[in-house]
Amino acid sequence: MDNLSEIINYLKGKKVRFADAREHLFRERQIMTEDTRVEGINEQNVSGTGIKVLYENGWGYASTSAKGMDSLKKAADKALSLARNADKTATGKVELAAEPKHVAKFATKTKEDLFGPGVGDAVAVLIEAGETILKGKDVIKAGSYLVFRNVKKKYANTEGSLIETDISTVLPQIDATARANGEVKSRHYWPAPMNAGYEYFRGLDFKTNAERIAAQAREHCFAKSCETGATTLILDPEHLSLTMHESVGHPTELDRVLGYEESCAGRSFATTDKLNNFKYGSELVNFIADNTLEGGLASCGYDDEGVECQKWHMIKDGILTGYGVNRELAHKLKLKRANGTTRATKYCDVPITRIPNLYLAPGKKPLSFEELIADTEDGIYIEGMGSFSIDQMRLNMQFGGDAFWEIKKGKITGMLKNVVYNAISYEFWRKCDAIADKRSFKRAGFITCGKGDPMQAAQMTHGASPARFREIMVRRAKH
Amino acid sequence: MNSTIEKILKKPVTDHVVITCEKFETHSIRFSNNSVNRENLCKLAEEVRVEVGYDGRTGSFSTNDLSEDSIKHAVEKAYEAAKLLPKDSEYMPPVTEAEAAKIKNFKPAFGKMSEGRKYGILRDAFRELKKAGLNSAGSLSTTPLTFEVYNNNGVHISHSNCVSSLTLTAMTENSSFRESHISKDFADYDGEVFISNIIKHAQLSRNPAPLEPVKFTVVLGPSAVEELLLMFLWYNMDAKAIDEGRSAFSKRAGKRIATEAIHIYSKPDHATASLSPFCPNDGMPFIGFDMIKNGKLARAWYSRFYAAKKGVPATGRFPANIIFKGTNKPVDKLISNVGNGLYVNSFWYIRLVDLMDGIFTGMTRDGLFRIKDGKLTGSVNNFRFNQSVFDMLRDTTEIGKEKALFSMACASIPPITVKDFNFTSKTEF
Ligand SMILES: [Zn+2]
Repeated sequence: MDNLSEIINYLKGKKVRFADAREHLFRERQIMTEDTRVEGINEQNVSGTGIKVLYENGWGYASTSAKGMDSLKKAADKALSLARNADKTATGKVELAAEPKHVAKFATKTKEDLFGPGVGDAVAVLIEAGETILKGKDVIKAGSYLVFRNVKKKYANTEGSLIETDISTVLPQIDATARANGEVKSRHYWPAPMNAGYEYFRGLDFKTNAERIAAQAREHCFAKSCETGATTLILDPEHLSLTMHESVGHPTELDRVLGYEESCAGRSFATTDKLNNFKYGSELVNFIADNTLEGGLASCGYDDEGVECQKWHMIKDGILTGYGVNRELAHKLKLKRANGTTRATKYCDVPITRIPNLYLAPGKKPLSFEELIADTEDGIYIEGMGSFSIDQMRLNMQFGGDAFWEIKKGKITGMLKNVVYNAISYEFWRKCDAIADKRSFKRAGFITCGKGDPMQAAQMTHGASPARFREIMVRRAKH
Repeated sequence: MNSTIEKILKKPVTDHVVITCEKFETHSIRFSNNSVNRENLCKLAEEVRVEVGYDGRTGSFSTNDLSEDSIKHAVEKAYEAAKLLPKDSEYMPPVTEAEAAKIKNFKPAFGKMSEGRKYGILRDAFRELKKAGLNSAGSLSTTPLTFEVYNNNGVHISHSNCVSSLTLTAMTENSSFRESHISKDFADYDGEVFISNIIKHAQLSRNPAPLEPVKFTVVLGPSAVEELLLMFLWYNMDAKAIDEGRSAFSKRAGKRIATEAIHIYSKPDHATASLSPFCPNDGMPFIGFDMIKNGKLARAWYSRFYAAKKGVPATGRFPANIIFKGTNKPVDKLISNVGNGLYVNSFWYIRLVDLMDGIFTGMTRDGLFRIKDGKLTGSVNNFRFNQSVFDMLRDTTEIGKEKALFSMACASIPPITVKDFNFTSKTEF
């Protein structure tokens, strides 16, 4: 018998109501460059086993980096003793939603091992991108950030599940900063982070994009300031990925909604009485949660409480229709099953509800990006992510962007600067009056979504086609 | 482990091998709805990081497998990486014994907290809050930690410390108030005072009144000051960025940037806000120095490389701690001197809006109170601000008593009174 099954049997003998154990090997290579030098390389291997125990109505979690049965038993005993302490403060009965027993394996589809090519290969690509950026007029800084991550897990629980997963992730970013006309402005090229192998990194066009962002960073320095007032916005997929993350992804985490996250990440306005009746957006707005999306950052086959990854509507035709739900809280919505979006970052972290892969469905009517712009008399077109902030109930939000252009008479004209817009989240989505079709759908995503206490960083993919929003309050960031 | 490391360093693969060990033993108990029903965990995080330099380039590798084979493997991987890299124009050799001799090590006193004491503190809190008709969420954690740095120059330094904290948000049906207690081991924790203060403010926060956003005179609580100030320093204090024109300080060289009374400095062995006397990554001694004094930028933050280039002492890209010199005035005294204004307990989700002018946005959270005639009179709906930190430093009119805090870094920060704080929109709660 393997160690995980043995420790699960050991805990069964201690009369726990539920227990699971997760062997978790986290391997990562991070490369940071500054101009044409390597600013830092962090390589890490962090491995260990985390054990979660439900005793009566109290949870405990303990972990060990050691592999022997003695260490695992010690961790199991510790988790049990913590659970007993928690049980003494329990105020209600813990009910776990049923999940079929899974004996399964899942792996990211890759062609080339992330750690196969030596570190020098990726460094050479990034340094070359830096050289290209620095050739740009008035450019004073080039930078890059690259992450290769592989996470292998083995999961077992007292219900007989035995799951192995092997997930590979790539995150590439390059940045340019220009100084001219009394301004300092940056521009970035952040292709979508993906669950993929080295082939994804190899296929990216850094050269063309390095030239483009260097020129646009400078152009931004000469841009005119936007006017303060309500206007039309057209937002690109990368930008929308951040707005949807903050104003749809986080508010629909059921643990937040029910107050469990109050002390850190906060709560949510999207309370359960609003399920299936609250107008979250215009009728055009459909948000799909999909942890089965190929290459999606949250696509891991099975989550860290042994639940199979799933696909569901978070918002359908503008109405709130779902949440991210773990096994413990499913019954609060009278759901029979959790939806497989509970994850932990490393072995020593407790799995918690995380935002799934979540995207704004493309418009159903044929509409290209060019047609969307041509159909817009006046407004601002925003690309990329910039300043972002939202209150703890996920209502008052303010976003900047990476680059801004004025739209006049159906045409993108010159660049603008100092643009921030401010809205109440659901009012913003209600003002969406056009979404381009699937031809211009693009992904983006994050590997640094912070939640939990102690804080954990999670990864998930977002995506959208460019979309238009009417009467949004734009403010000049400075005068 | 020490003997393994010493063995490796006796025959180093190159003339640049640095091995650092970090050990954190965390017990974190999280609660909500007046019960321990969230993360309730013990973790022992022990990690070794190896840095190998080769001909002006540096590679590194970290692992939490502390066996001899694993550490040797880490050395090989770091060496291999170094060999594959281009020469680094900012290469720095390891800290020397002479440099390390400048470290002013200190031994903070702290005891071990029993499980009974930890859960006991929480049970008392839950009981009192329930009695007061309030809900609660938060966490209690203790983390004894040790940093060690070894290198082939014969440096071997070690520092042990402890960070413990209780953060508690008390909630009514429509409002909340948060407070934290940062400590080494809770020997200085007075549960009755802590909880009664929270209950008093949470009750007062009930039924926030509607208010429109304009510029207000504010008393910012220590947490609010810390959140905004540390974010500002983090973005702007790097000496190289200032010289390269990429910091808000770049165009303010030699200029007045704050009112005279503001004194912000670092003191590695500060009594309540200390973590380590050296940089855990390389053993660089942390030094005490003034950052903002007499209305001006006194000294920026220098990496070892940039300090050597400029011929000034290195401070680290983030110093040992941030101390904002306080007075002995309690926060109530600051409030009593405001005729019409707001008390901001804390901020939330602060983000940069404009780098070169130090403008940040964020929300008020967990306690925004109206001040009328020197007294807190009730709470109001939360606001968003868009505020220049330079304006805040210029318009600070009174400074209160320091409080130990720990979010981005170890800090000791007072409440301050600021006129014309720029609130720009409101939210629905
Ligand atoms: Zn997030």
